[in-house]
Amino acid sequence: MRIPALGLKRKQWEPLAFASPSMALIAFVIVFPLAYSFYLSFQNFDLSVGPEYEFVGAKNYTEALFRDQRFMGSVWNTALLIAPSLLLELLLGLGIALLLSRVLRGRPIITALLVIPSMVSPVMAAMAWRMMYGVKYGAINNLGRQLGIIDVYFDWFSSPLVSIIAVVLVEVWHNTPFMMLVLLAGLQSIPTELYEAAKADGASAWQRFWSITLPLLKFTMAVGVMIRLIDLTKLFGLIFVLTFGGPGGATETVAFTTYLMGFKDFRMSYAAALSYVIVGGVLLLTLVFMWIQRVRETRVAA
Amino acid sequence: MAIAIERSAVMARRAKRHRVWQRVGHVMTYVGLFAALVFFLGPFFWIVTTSLKGNEDFFAFPPVWIPTEPSLKHYVALFTRSSGARYFTNSLVLSTMSMIAAVVVSLPTAYSIARWRFGGGLLSIFLLVLRMLPAIALIIPIYIVYKMLGITNNYLALVVIYTVLYIPFAVWLLVGFLRDFPVEIEEAAMIDGCSRLRALVQVVVPIIAPGMAVVALFSFIATWNEFLFAIVLTGIETKTMMVLVTSFTSGGTDMFYGEASASVVLGVLPAFAVAFMLQRYLVKGLALGGTKG
Repeated sequence: MRIPALGLKRKQWEPLAFASPSMALIAFVIVFPLAYSFYLSFQNFDLSVGPEYEFVGAKNYTEALFRDQRFMGSVWNTALLIAPSLLLELLLGLGIALLLSRVLRGRPIITALLVIPSMVSPVMAAMAWRMMYGVKYGAINNLGRQLGIIDVYFDWFSSPLVSIIAVVLVEVWHNTPFMMLVLLAGLQSIPTELYEAAKADGASAWQRFWSITLPLLKFTMAVGVMIRLIDLTKLFGLIFVLTFGGPGGATETVAFTTYLMGFKDFRMSYAAALSYVIVGGVLLLTLVFMWIQRVRETRVAA
Repeated sequence: MAIAIERSAVMARRAKRHRVWQRVGHVMTYVGLFAALVFFLGPFFWIVTTSLKGNEDFFAFPPVWIPTEPSLKHYVALFTRSSGARYFTNSLVLSTMSMIAAVVVSLPTAYSIARWRFGGGLLSIFLLVLRMLPAIALIIPIYIVYKMLGITNNYLALVVIYTVLYIPFAVWLLVGFLRDFPVEIEEAAMIDGCSRLRALVQVVVPIIAPGMAVVALFSFIATWNEFLFAIVLTGIETKTMMVLVTSFTSGGTDMFYGEASASVVLGVLPAFAVAFMLQRYLVKGLALGGTKG
């Protein structure tokens, strides 16, 4: 029973008062810095030159988008790393999720064990793998030699192509468990009656997968891919430890190039502009992805 | 008659074949999962055994996979020679402080949203923006401001950032827990003369404590794992484990294996703990895990 006289009625100031501490913090630590950074991106603030700066218009942006070979290269590198990582994470994640959904006993414990890599920081993951890739004492070369697969100490970071493969492998190790977890949740939400009905109608396992599992899992897959895509554009810690952008800048991602620009060359304004270019790019990517989803859904509906 | 017998024989054979295939499928499932476990946990196994090896075992060929005489000398070296004890403590203190701060600050906000729909859809927009925002876009202005204020290499300044980074996430999870909480219990407390805030602290909090623990653990691990802000804003005294571990990368691909592997083992410990404790919430937690770089 509600008794308004006792003051249970909503007081106007209460919602705001309760929310204000976190709102203030977010304003100070997220909103204000972002606005300040946007302002800076139109100046020529360079800490290696001095504390003075002046307005230069959109010069930083035109340099980033049209003249900066290194940044353009890093966009290409990031794409080269993202495409195979995403594909492998999706396929491997789906495969393991399907296996897990068939297991009846011990599923929670196996899931918890498999998911551990995703809980680990990218830096730690990269460090563990960097040691495994180690030329003389690394686990991979030693195992390969012991099994007689390779007969030389192989340097995994000697050529651009092999380095990219090495980074993708670590990335896949690190984040496939997340994809697996998302897809497993999706698989479990598919009603089992559908499979029973299909079985009764004589559908083979392959047909059931193709016409029940896959279509019903599509949305979950899209969400998982989307999240991974956004996160992969931020690839930084992994690169920092594993290759530091090498060899010859072949694994320099956009986030890593921006970091170097800001904290090695100290061109703060330019780094701020680069970070806004990245934000814009991610936003665009997200919108395109959502648009493709939308188009596909309407086509299916029609 | 003959046809009937033949048919039942065919049926029996078919059923048998079906059963055989089922068993094969069953075995294959476990084989596949075992392979996955080896791939995903193998590196951890190797890192742990490496951290326990003596020097001769690193250099031995054929390689020593399980050290014959395990020793803790690399951990001792890490804690003394590389000041690992200090950086481990730093990580613990920073993560604990921002964990507590994030929950304390987020709870009233979450309450405001759950009970009064404060801000309309503002929260989900914030979450989305923060989820997409690369940490690199935030660190540049924050570094400049902190440099001007002279608060780089400062614990509290770092705690503030980490707290705020996980507020939207914490609020979002807490709103879910609060919505499940029956309003009647609070109202009963308030009829008895309790203020809104006291009702929240003394009535709601004890009941949603498990939910708060989930939020707390996620923000703990997020801060523990954070790297970009840590490497830019920490100095020699305030370094975290994540920054310490990168110091072992100098010296090419064959570096200080002992101490490096020991620091990785310590660095991934919380992840192991949390993966088991938070099972039910892992999807949410990982999907919304803030600005992971």
